Amino acid sequence: MSFRDILDSGKFVVTAEIGPPKGTNIKEMLHHAEMLKGKIDAVNVTDNQSAVMRICSLAVCKLMLEMGHEPILQMTCRDRNRIGLQSDLLGASVLGIKNVLCMTGDHPNAGDHKQAKAVYDVESVQLLGIVNSLNIGRDMSGNELKGSTDFFQGAVVTPEANPLEPQLMKFEKKVRAGARFFQTQAIYDIEKFKDFMKYARKFPVKILAGIVLLKSAGMANYMNNFVPGIRVPQVLIDELKSAGKEKALDAGINIAAKHIRQLREEKICDGVHIMAIGAEAMVPEIMKRAGLL
Amino acid sequence: MIITKKRDFQELMKNIENYNRFFLLGCSECAALCSTGGEKELDEMKVALEAEGKEVTGTFVAKTGCQVLGTKVELKPFKDALTETDCILVLSCGAGTQTAVELFEDKPVYPTNDTLFLGNMTRLQMFDERCSLCGKCILDKTGGICPITACPKGLLNGPCGGCKDGYCEVSPDIKCAWVRIYERMKRLDKLQEFCETIIEAKDWAAHARPMNLNVRKKEEVKK
Repeated sequence: MSFRDILDSGKFVVTAEIGPPKGTNIKEMLHHAEMLKGKIDAVNVTDNQSAVMRICSLAVCKLMLEMGHEPILQMTCRDRNRIGLQSDLLGASVLGIKNVLCMTGDHPNAGDHKQAKAVYDVESVQLLGIVNSLNIGRDMSGNELKGSTDFFQGAVVTPEANPLEPQLMKFEKKVRAGARFFQTQAIYDIEKFKDFMKYARKFPVKILAGIVLLKSAGMANYMNNFVPGIRVPQVLIDELKSAGKEKALDAGINIAAKHIRQLREEKICDGVHIMAIGAEAMVPEIMKRAGLL
Repeated sequence: MIITKKRDFQELMKNIENYNRFFLLGCSECAALCSTGGEKELDEMKVALEAEGKEVTGTFVAKTGCQVLGTKVELKPFKDALTETDCILVLSCGAGTQTAVELFEDKPVYPTNDTLFLGNMTRLQMFDERCSLCGKCILDKTGGICPITACPKGLLNGPCGGCKDGYCEVSPDIKCAWVRIYERMKRLDKLQEFCETIIEAKDWAAHARPMNLNVRKKEEVKK
């Protein structure tokens, strides 16, 4: 069953993230992908995440497809103009990639090529519109295509952003522009997330809660200080701290598993998107402890 | 106004090392306000050049350095000083420099300033970029705040996920343009329609360079 069919079926969906490496050695990445095979419903392939130059998402999506995964092509507007974006989308389509996650993308300022000219010719809301257009057989300028695409398009939302209202405005625009599913930024406060879900349920879209594995109290503090839209409650930081250095990762896995279990048992959202950021090998363990395997 | 900043003097000296006699041309508009091309700056440049053993044959602050014909008329009394000079230094923006290039085909012309942006003076000698000269104004749609300029990503439909506590992902000193726009629309009680409108992708063809514009009718130009 495809990712979109699984979401439609009402099953609690699990996606995870694969970050392409910087360089041509893909052994470790393939190993992680192999570990996830048959366990997750789709795999996101990041697009030069944090504006750090890596293998392109499109190529790695094709590799995932060959392995038997269902890939979600992450596409940012940072590096390509509207011609490049549409061209890559057509390319993805003929390679058999069915899912695309439309994002604005981190500014080059955050990455390892700070002198790069940022493109942002279009942005996430408009990119969703472009995908819609390609799906009905026309390019952005209205030209007829020789064969249309059949993408299932998604977007991202940050339920813990501050201030939240402008983000919700953009969320609604993304829904209107054709987003069918959302993967959220990391969620750590389930009660607060329930408030967001109460709001989001008014819209005909599926929501996968972002689960970022906490590897240490230091990482949690770093995210609170430097990563926008992420708030790790003090009680979780204390939990990681009291676990001690050696057991912190284990505590982080427990936290992630506990959250997933709650989201699923209480039917709070439609699934989860697990981001292990450098600890991809731990994803099956998180799923096991969450009762998903 | 066009915001300019003085170039490094040593770099300038390298540019002009083969010339000895200079004419200095400033501008009483933007460059004067930026302290890069008014009377005071011309005097300072004259002193600095003389300290390097160079000669200054004349100085003049044009009324509006980017006005080609007006500047040409204003420079008529300086004919001798301009004939004697090896090189013209322009203490204004890039447009002023190119006025001199147009007026003096046979003379080398060098800029003493870097031209930065189109901005507003917020306090004395403090400038903020406000307009990107993109050729198709959207201030009518965004509460009068330009996201093409004020948002480092030039987003048209709301903030990116990088907005943190109302500040920008690119620089924590800048308030998020889209938070500002949202707050203003809220204050003006114009939120609903604003939130429901998706602004289409920008027409960059309206910004095709180089641009020119003639607002006069053909018969007027003939006169």
